[in-house]
Amino acid sequence: MITEIAPAPDRVASEPARPRRKRRAWDEVPRWHIYLPLSLYLLFTLVPFYWILLFALRPAGSTSLVPWPMTFDHFDKVWNERAFATFFQNSVLVGIATLVMTTLVALAGGYALARFDFRVKKAFMLALLCTQFVPGALLLVPLFEIFAKLQMINSLGSVIIAETVFQLPLSMILISGFIRNVPASLEEAAWVDGCNRFTAFRIVVLPLLRPGLIAVGSFAFVHAWNHFLFALMFLSDQGKQTIPVGLNTLMSADSVDLGALAAGGIIAAVPVVIVFAFIQKWLITGFSAGAVKG
Amino acid sequence: MKSSIRRSRRAAVAVALGSVLALTATACGDDGSGSAGDKGNEGSGKGEITFWDNNGGVRTDIWKEIIVDFEKKNPDIKVNYVGIPAASAQSKYDTAIQGGGLPDVGGVGTAMLAEVAVQGALEPLDGRLAKSSLNGKLSQNLLDSSKAAGGGDKLYQIPTSSNNGTLWYRTDLFEKAGLDAPTTWDKFYAAADKLTNKGKNEFGFTIRGGEGSIAPALDAAYSQSGITSFWNGDKTTVNDPKNVAALEKYVALYKKDTPSADVNNDFTKMVAQWDSGTIGMLSHNLGSYQDHLKALGAEKFRGLPNPTQADGTRVQISNPVDGMSLFKSSKNKAAAWKFIEFAVSHEENSKFNESAGQIPANTEAAGDEWIQKAEPTKLAAQALNGDGTKIVQLPYYLPDWNTISKADNEPNFQKVLLGKMSVKDFLDTVADQLNKAQADWKQNH
Repeated sequence: MITEIAPAPDRVASEPARPRRKRRAWDEVPRWHIYLPLSLYLLFTLVPFYWILLFALRPAGSTSLVPWPMTFDHFDKVWNERAFATFFQNSVLVGIATLVMTTLVALAGGYALARFDFRVKKAFMLALLCTQFVPGALLLVPLFEIFAKLQMINSLGSVIIAETVFQLPLSMILISGFIRNVPASLEEAAWVDGCNRFTAFRIVVLPLLRPGLIAVGSFAFVHAWNHFLFALMFLSDQGKQTIPVGLNTLMSADSVDLGALAAGGIIAAVPVVIVFAFIQKWLITGFSAGAVKG
Repeated sequence: MKSSIRRSRRAAVAVALGSVLALTATACGDDGSGSAGDKGNEGSGKGEITFWDNNGGVRTDIWKEIIVDFEKKNPDIKVNYVGIPAASAQSKYDTAIQGGGLPDVGGVGTAMLAEVAVQGALEPLDGRLAKSSLNGKLSQNLLDSSKAAGGGDKLYQIPTSSNNGTLWYRTDLFEKAGLDAPTTWDKFYAAADKLTNKGKNEFGFTIRGGEGSIAPALDAAYSQSGITSFWNGDKTTVNDPKNVAALEKYVALYKKDTPSADVNNDFTKMVAQWDSGTIGMLSHNLGSYQDHLKALGAEKFRGLPNPTQADGTRVQISNPVDGMSLFKSSKNKAAAWKFIEFAVSHEENSKFNESAGQIPANTEAAGDEWIQKAEPTKLAAQALNGDGTKIVQLPYYLPDWNTISKADNEPNFQKVLLGKMSVKDFLDTVADQLNKAQADWKQNH
């Protein structure tokens, strides 16, 4: 028995014709009109980085424009002789502790600002914003006195607390913006299902805040990583100093070892570059979301 | 019942966490006692002292060596070394003077001595020096500079070393062009012109136009004008017509014989530019010797004291003197003074200055073999201590000196280079500020 198989209907014929996409002016722009300016901009941006690499990798005294013959002597010098291994470790500790403390406290404060109404809320928000206009140097002596009374001078804790305090206002404002984006009805539904406020927050709201938390946390980390003033003033023991202070000690009053300085600069930049490479996507989402609704 | 147990557990966890955080935060910290008001005490001469190095980093190794030597000789004293970046030393001292945490001993250069001394943080050292084995062994010129920089009759700093203005020049380029060493101002200007070939990006000189530009400019002005005193009664000689003419001649080199980027030159850029480019001369101090050595090798350059007038007359401004001060708030002044005495002793002072490439304050160290071999240092020491050398003492003692010579007038000097301000207006502005600061200072002393 021969089964006749009916020919498949002509799908193209049977489906309604798709409207032809109109060619936009943008599509007609030759590619090089886009890539050439972008490449020039990139070149302009990357030349200083290349210069740092060049100084870090070429031997002292070389005037070559390419890092060849290549040497890692400068890295060896700063890492082993100039105690950058210790500075690096301290900076990691300060950065991570600041990140954790800032994120936790900003989360609690931001939630309160987003979900509760209280009498001086607007004034409080304004005060938070105003703190951003006060430079750290202005508060140096008062902070120094407070930490001295707490016996915290020359302790990494003083830098962590100071960094956290300076990061908190902006972080709280941003987090409150993210939390406002999450409908309160989601939490209320969880309450109806038997959750208390904390559990509802943890199970329902927190997972939705991931981009915001990453944005705030990375911002806190990078700021603490790069900040020089508090580490310089509150820490004296060389074993407790951080990378920015270490970089400054590579410049003496009358002489600078440019190779060592460049190598130190690369060591200081690498963690920040890695952090940004991993979190770039969430960072942009997070900041834009917080900024719009904040 | 259950919920109350849960609540009390949570409270206990919170208290425990809080305690752990507090303990972690305060672990190994100190109370930072020792502000300017603290009078301290003599102590037992044993135990721990803290030393702040005001040029930490590059000098860390040599200081640690000196500390090891000291601790071997004084096993009952331990020295805690703290290296402070040179650019931030003043702020670190100022914060500690206000908030506490001053060291027992600190490196304090003449450029910041007055500001630290005027806040009452330093112990006068005249009495201790008179009874010390160092008495009579330190350069009188440097002691005079230290005393003058302290702003009064008291000595607040034991000098360790001095720097000196040095004209570094490329011997290979000079030989190729058939030029004599730039020992006089005439030879200097002639060489600057002859070595410049802008088309090939070759320049005769690099001028300091950015941070730190005022001292070299004043050095060039006084050195050419031959005026030997900074003050004429209560008025400064800075804007004397001879100084104006001298500075005009010096500033005219900008763009004619120097790169145009020099308007932003601080010492880092200037030294890097000279070490890696084709520039004939650089006016800096002894401090950059090692950088030139690394970059150019010993054969391609020499360092001479700044040029003299045609008849060999040498006038130069006083250069910063580095030294050690004893802080009033120290709880162990006896041990701290022992450390100062040791660090400025013949052997240690020699070791330190050989490493730093500077002129030793200890006269016995100044005669050591290494200094005879290090030509730039030897010539600088001869120039500094030469009978014919006239030193114009800059008013480091004025509390406003740093503001006047940096923040207030460095931008004005850039305007001069760019032709937006005349040399006369520039020097008149500096003079007005100095005369006012001097009048204020006299009123309070």
